[in-house]
Amino acid sequence: MIRFVLWRTGAAAVLLVVLSALVFVLQQISPGDPARAYVGGNASPAAVAAAHHRLGLDRPWPQRYVRYLWHALHGDLGISLRTHRPVTTDLGQFLPATAELVLFSFVLALLLALLFALSGALRWPGTGLYRGVLLLAGTAPAFLLGLGGIVLFYGHLHWLPEAGRGVDTSSPTGFVLLDSLLHGDTGAFTDGLRHLLLPGLALAVAPAISIGRILRAGLERTFGADYVRTARSKGIREVQVLWRHVVRNSLDATLSMAGLQLGFMFAGVVIVENVFTWPGIGYYLAQSIPQSDFPAIAGVTLLLGGVYIVVNAVVDVLQAVADPRLTV
Amino acid sequence: MSILRIRRTWHIVALATAMALGAAACSGSTGGSTAGAGGKPPTDGVLTVGLLGDIGQPPDPDIYYANNGTAIMINAYEGLVQYQNDTDQVKIAPRLATSWTVGANHTVYTFHLRHGVTFHDGTPFTSAAIEPSFQRRLAVKGGAAYMVAGVKSVRTPDPYTAVITLDKPNAAFLSYLASPFGPKMESPTALTQHAGTDHAQTYLRTHDVGTGPYELTSAVSGTKYVLTQYKGYWGPKSPFTTVNLPVYSSAAPLQLALDSGDVSAVVAALPSSSLGHFASDPNVRNYFLPTLQSSLLTLNPSRSFFATKQARLAFLKSVDQQKLVSQVLGKRSSVATTLYAKGMIPGGADKQSIGYDPSAMAAYAKTLPSGTAMTIGYANGNPNAQNMAEILVAQMQAIGIKATAQGYDTATVFSWPQAPKKGPDAFVDGNNGPDGGDPYMWGHVFWDASGGIDYFACDLPSVDTALNQAVKSGDTNLYVQAAEEYAANGCYMNLSYNKDWVVAQKWLTGVPQSQNLGANELNFSLLGIAK
Repeated sequence: MIRFVLWRTGAAAVLLVVLSALVFVLQQISPGDPARAYVGGNASPAAVAAAHHRLGLDRPWPQRYVRYLWHALHGDLGISLRTHRPVTTDLGQFLPATAELVLFSFVLALLLALLFALSGALRWPGTGLYRGVLLLAGTAPAFLLGLGGIVLFYGHLHWLPEAGRGVDTSSPTGFVLLDSLLHGDTGAFTDGLRHLLLPGLALAVAPAISIGRILRAGLERTFGADYVRTARSKGIREVQVLWRHVVRNSLDATLSMAGLQLGFMFAGVVIVENVFTWPGIGYYLAQSIPQSDFPAIAGVTLLLGGVYIVVNAVVDVLQAVADPRLTV
Repeated sequence: MSILRIRRTWHIVALATAMALGAAACSGSTGGSTAGAGGKPPTDGVLTVGLLGDIGQPPDPDIYYANNGTAIMINAYEGLVQYQNDTDQVKIAPRLATSWTVGANHTVYTFHLRHGVTFHDGTPFTSAAIEPSFQRRLAVKGGAAYMVAGVKSVRTPDPYTAVITLDKPNAAFLSYLASPFGPKMESPTALTQHAGTDHAQTYLRTHDVGTGPYELTSAVSGTKYVLTQYKGYWGPKSPFTTVNLPVYSSAAPLQLALDSGDVSAVVAALPSSSLGHFASDPNVRNYFLPTLQSSLLTLNPSRSFFATKQARLAFLKSVDQQKLVSQVLGKRSSVATTLYAKGMIPGGADKQSIGYDPSAMAAYAKTLPSGTAMTIGYANGNPNAQNMAEILVAQMQAIGIKATAQGYDTATVFSWPQAPKKGPDAFVDGNNGPDGGDPYMWGHVFWDASGGIDYFACDLPSVDTALNQAVKSGDTNLYVQAAEEYAANGCYMNLSYNKDWVVAQKWLTGVPQSQNLGANELNFSLLGIAK
């Protein structure tokens, strides 16, 4: 098992290095000029050339790459050409918003998935509408779902806000809901929740369907299993049968899918954050791309790539713990 | 417990979850202004001006050289002079200098300064603040540092007089000072106190050191900027004690926020496709205010399609400028009739004389091999430029040329002057303008390869020479001569004079009076609430 974990960790580190190299190659072949973003639109060629020198962009790119890796290993991801701040400072500012949105969406997705699976597997009456609505929403891309939500719930019904995170309580954790609870500010908590609902739903729907489908298939399979019939015939209460024998034995594939979807959510958050002006790292990335802010782009790519790799590695390890045959 | 009971339990859980979410949705917001649906004026003194996209750079007056962040620059800071508000003519007006004289050879500028002005940290504004402000601008090496690069000395005979001497004659210097990107006066005390190791750049990311009517009290990049009224301001004060500048990532939610009354005003940010919507909205007023901005059409002589002057001029003549501008830009623009921005050359002597005649282009098309391709570019995120490019593409296709329209990121567009062959054959610049109102600032930037936005390096040394001569004396005839010579080369067409389209709630007053053609943003201290 230790060998397996070490192998997974080593592979994750190699993947991150490859990822950073890819970003640098992209920067090299991109026609954009990052120095222009640094000094501004109307800057003269002389001012741009001076900025090139100051930012070290006039050095050969392999040299810049090695230098970047060395600094990255020491926690320095460079200076954002747009905000003129250290990228690590920017990521520190924007990451809590993304983490809060993704975690909220993930919990929402699990809830929706559970309802989707149980309602389908147990054939509850009247839940066809719920499944239909969820499936219909799942067919729409996240940005369309987000925009539709804004038009309906903000523009017409005036129920939910259209953008941002609400009241700023960004201390001590940077999670608005958690911070507002710590401050005992219920108004801020409600406001934060209202701001989370639409982007959270837009991000949660597609993963909910994927997870729900896998869980439903697992439930249907285990519902008919001999050990479930035996448990019922022994007079065990239905709720115990459901949780102990049905749901538990359906979770293996569902956990894999949930882990995969959590990784995808960190990647998909770029679009949702941009639609809702959600001040997270996806929005930060979306603002950095048009200005060729490569230190910022590379920083976010490494962070998102790292999260994706770590989530998948954790899922792999958990599966290996559950089924040691996988480590062979 | 039976299956039925489990179902009932789950139904209750589902219902409770839905109700909790619904309750959160329906409960009121705890933040923001009291302005709301129905477009009623705020009662808490909060004005909300929506920004489309982040300001893009730190709100530091010596660094900032982009677009909508000038709203912060012109409200937190002041320069010695500014452009006159509420006019479409280029006129320099007093700000921290009440009067000035210009030496005969445009080398010595003497300013008489306003009394009773204090910086936001309480330091009195005197002539001693000018040189440190200029020095910091040079030290941080921002894009607009060129504006003070020619300053040889700043003499201060008394606290309210400053004599600025340039190292060579420059008739555009007053325009540099009036520019929204021009040097602003910064508290020498605060600059020293917060200098750190980066000339106070870290401090100025979230604070200001100016004299303007508002202080920058919060700056969260990409999210929101907040200005708070400076109680010690020397000039007029508006009823708005706080100005929120929330950032919207796209036009649709910003438009909805304006519709609902959550946003009080939007300045030059909404696409032309929204004109019809707001024209018929009784709760808002639309203002079309003059600017120095234009839509430009630039042709690429480095590409074989436009390698000859004849081909370029034939294409420019095939552009139905009147139709293109009215069809795409509507009321927010008018057809450009001059080579420089409107009002730069008195009397419009810089007339643009490209008559509409599509026959020359049709004849040129016949000389080209069948299936000849060409590309017309536009900047991504500018729907007006895209529409114009697509219309021009359709015209080219109608005469048998395989034309396509293609969008480019801003960073790519700005890389073309170094490698014009990598650019498209033509580029529609939906909205661009100079740093200030002097014709040199237009000609040098757009026509001179050393200027910055001569996209395809279509450069004529004789034009550069004429511009460099003209800036020494301010000779209008020389500027006109340079413009006519450049236009005859066929690389350039001024398509339209663009206006700042401001959409504001009906209760907001003083909008035209708070805008000038150089700033493209509003001076919030001059706004009011209708009684």
